Amino acid sequence: MTDIWLGLFAGTAFGFVIQRIGATNPHKMALAHLMREPYIPQFMLLVVIFSALGLFALEASGGGTTRVLPTSLVATGLGGVIFGIGWGCSGYCPGTCWAAVGEGRMDAVFTLLGGLAGTVVFAHLHESLIPMLYTPTSLGQLTLVDWFGHPGAALGFLIILFGVGVLLVGRFWSVQNG
Amino acid sequence: MSKNNNAPYWQVLPSAIALAGIMVFIFATFGPPASSSGFVTTMKGFFLQVAPEYAEGKAHYRMMPGPGSWLMAFVLGMAICGFIAGRTFRQKIEDMPKIWEQHYGASRAKRYATTFLGGFLILFGARLAGGCTLGLFLSGATQLSLSGLYFGAVIFITAMLTARWVYSPRRVHHD
Repeated sequence: MTDIWLGLFAGTAFGFVIQRIGATNPHKMALAHLMREPYIPQFMLLVVIFSALGLFALEASGGGTTRVLPTSLVATGLGGVIFGIGWGCSGYCPGTCWAAVGEGRMDAVFTLLGGLAGTVVFAHLHESLIPMLYTPTSLGQLTLVDWFGHPGAALGFLIILFGVGVLLVGRFWSVQNG
Repeated sequence: MSKNNNAPYWQVLPSAIALAGIMVFIFATFGPPASSSGFVTTMKGFFLQVAPEYAEGKAHYRMMPGPGSWLMAFVLGMAICGFIAGRTFRQKIEDMPKIWEQHYGASRAKRYATTFLGGFLILFGARLAGGCTLGLFLSGATQLSLSGLYFGAVIFITAMLTARWVYSPRRVHHD
């Protein structure tokens, strides 16, 4: 039962912040994809920087539960391409559409229904698709620590990489009002 | 950073710190946050009611908890909060984005059909990859995982190219 209250609380807090930054507004998201709205991409990159720092501190103090998903060259990449096409068309992702349904956006309701249909079709095909696309090219649960050998160096690399990303978005994305 | 360029929405830096705080809270009290999993728990709950044998026979439903779980509560919390946040916000909530209307006119059927298809693709893709913007990219990159960085790069590039095609200037709607 505690898990349910924790989930509700976390979802509520998470939903509020993403609504207030504008991530549940598909107009703003489309402009972000068209390089005419720098705030949502910068926000996402900064969230990763601060979360990674926070998680690093949490783990150093012995807390936190992590679960690294494996990298499958084909399934992660192909899944990303399919996902990206849907994201570009609708302007919603699986999380933002729940909050946008709460806001009362009708197009988000259809995204949610389409998402449920996509889930059912994938779950039905799981037994044939996972052995065909996911498992053969899975490299395992790789992290930057495996590359750098040291958690601090890996974290430093991530912060530099995403920090450069924030600056590049600021440089190449224009600002369109409205 | 005193001027808020993102108005009427919140400023980027404080919002990012706030969301990162929530992310770390979730890592401390549950584990990596995820939202596409909420779709699987919803459908698992549905099939457990109408066709329990089917739900129990399918690996994708077996690997996920049912509706009485953190994952389900999280997405419901997002929806509840979307309602509260939307009602207390000064910008009007629209059924259709302005940019869509500028390109395809006021037909709701066209927009809703496209977002249904978009929703289908984001979930099909997320379930194939193992997670979504939150569950794979934000959670994954926070844990320094290569899958999260790889997925993040692919979804951004593909969505940017798709948006360029969907909202190409030659599609601007003329009445």
